Amino acid sequence: MVLSGVTKRFGDVTAVDGMNLEIRDGEFFSLLGPSGCGKTTTLRMIAGFEYPTEGSVRIQGREMGLEPPNRRPVNTVFQSYALFPHMTVAENVGFGLKMRGVGRSEIAERVARALDQVQLAHRSDARPSQLSGGQQQRVALARALVNEPAVLLLDEPLGALDLKLRQAMQVELKELQERVGITFVYVTHDQEEALTMSDRIGVMNEGRLLQVGEPEAIYERPTSRFVADFIGHINLVTAECAGSGMVRIGDGAEVAVPGVQGAGGKVTIALRPERLHLTAPDADIPAGANRLRGVVRRRVYHGDGFTYEVAVAGTVLEVRTENTPGLVRYEAGSDICVYWDPSAANLVED
Amino acid sequence: MTGRWISRLLGLHSWAVYVFFYAPIAVLVFLSFNDNRLVTVWTGASLRWYREMLENDQVLSAIRNSLIVAGVSTIVSVVLGTAAALGLERFRWRGRRIFDGLLYLPIIIPDVTMAVMMLLFFVQVFGLVELAFGPKIGLGLATISLSHVAFNISFVAVVVRARLAGLDPALEEAAADLYADRRQAFLHVTLPLIMPGVLGGALLALTLSLDDVVITSFVSGPGSTTLPVYVFGLVKRGVTPLINAVSTVMLVASMLLVFVSLIFQRGDGKVPQGTRQ
Repeated sequence: MVLSGVTKRFGDVTAVDGMNLEIRDGEFFSLLGPSGCGKTTTLRMIAGFEYPTEGSVRIQGREMGLEPPNRRPVNTVFQSYALFPHMTVAENVGFGLKMRGVGRSEIAERVARALDQVQLAHRSDARPSQLSGGQQQRVALARALVNEPAVLLLDEPLGALDLKLRQAMQVELKELQERVGITFVYVTHDQEEALTMSDRIGVMNEGRLLQVGEPEAIYERPTSRFVADFIGHINLVTAECAGSGMVRIGDGAEVAVPGVQGAGGKVTIALRPERLHLTAPDADIPAGANRLRGVVRRRVYHGDGFTYEVAVAGTVLEVRTENTPGLVRYEAGSDICVYWDPSAANLVED
Repeated sequence: MTGRWISRLLGLHSWAVYVFFYAPIAVLVFLSFNDNRLVTVWTGASLRWYREMLENDQVLSAIRNSLIVAGVSTIVSVVLGTAAALGLERFRWRGRRIFDGLLYLPIIIPDVTMAVMMLLFFVQVFGLVELAFGPKIGLGLATISLSHVAFNISFVAVVVRARLAGLDPALEEAAADLYADRRQAFLHVTLPLIMPGVLGGALLALTLSLDDVVITSFVSGPGSTTLPVYVFGLVKRGVTPLINAVSTVMLVASMLLVFVSLIFQRGDGKVPQGTRQ
């Protein structure tokens, strides 16, 4: 599926701005971003509920243009599930096949198989209102998948479920996608969901696609301040270039950052809190690591770890440590040394 | 004053209200079985006035007229009213807001005003038609039906819109997503889901049409008297027990309508609006 130069304006508001994106066959692709970033509008343009103001959407090489939703090889799992309340589960799942004129016995067979796939064969005669949220979600999935679409669109489908169920469904969805081999385009504002399930993620903000990549690339090597900040916790430090591979931060301390060139320019470096390490002020650190002396300002307990706020070199860094046995704890006010491998730092655009 | 006294007073009060509501009905029904020619003098039970009603050509013709007008105006106004509700609720177009306001005008306008308006309108139009093409058209069942359609559309639209407003728009999108074209999406998803509203609107239209005296009497012509207009005419010549019998029949008919509408709307609660967030 290819989106090229797709723009959508509602009056004066530009919801999606010049989006170029290629989604591979059989891929689990997530569109991630805060609410109002244009991800749902993008999905709706692929489904055919909205038409692009400019640009083109092609699915399996076929230009979609102004094709209405019923003539596109895609199916949608709606955020509200949108199950037809006046039909049984089986009738809901068979609706698409019935509309395409598939024979009655084939419908029955494929509906049974689809419901089997989502473990709901025993509820085929129930009404949607008699099902739990998780079951309704599965019916919505079966109703879309039974049509064997080229692309399955999912609009925050887990948003209405509670945390435990959501995590279980994440695993189930990913397994299902691998089993059926259909391209999934998954819209979410939940970074954890996107990171755990996707083959690739596209991060959006204010109508623009900022970065596309595998989950690890998005997390480890964000290219912009927004992506770095939106996904997980991160320290963003403004620095001045101080010759090849070196930057000067805060009060003038120099640290090594790969990829820095020239001198005098301003850059922003991004450091994940779990990539920073704490030790006593005069302890040995691995060779080549950056080190900064500082003072612990605050320690927060999370159960599985601690977050320290450390004042160093005229700035404040967040440092995350896992709660491993024998962990040394530092009290607020104590002198400390923060060190990290230069490769942990990442340059981002503002 | 204790709580017991207050609750006794409240009980008494509700009894009073119910007596006020239903005593006249009981009196009417009771007296419709009176044998005497004088309405208020009871001489014995009989079905005399019912027999007389069924032998009275004027009454029968009035009932027939009422049913024709109610049937025609209900069918036409349900189709147009539902279409209006869909147009206002589901589509965005220029002038929608103005139409939105105008649609409810017939509900607000006093009956007499509406009646005069309709009469003037018909007279003017028919005059022009006569002038231009020659044929002379008079007032009759057609003009009564048209006038009833004119006010019923608004009532149907209000009831259907309330139902549509509670419907998740994603349901119609889901139908389109599942290969239904517009016609199929309407027939298989939208219409079944707004059906309770459509039927409710239809019964409301039917009742209003069967009840109407003021507008009908203005726009009716010779031979097109409806039942309520006929009853009204009878009263002017003094109350006879025949009126009691006719009124009792109308009462039973409208109660049956309400009963039928309740049956239609039963199970309505079991149809949820889809889970909305």
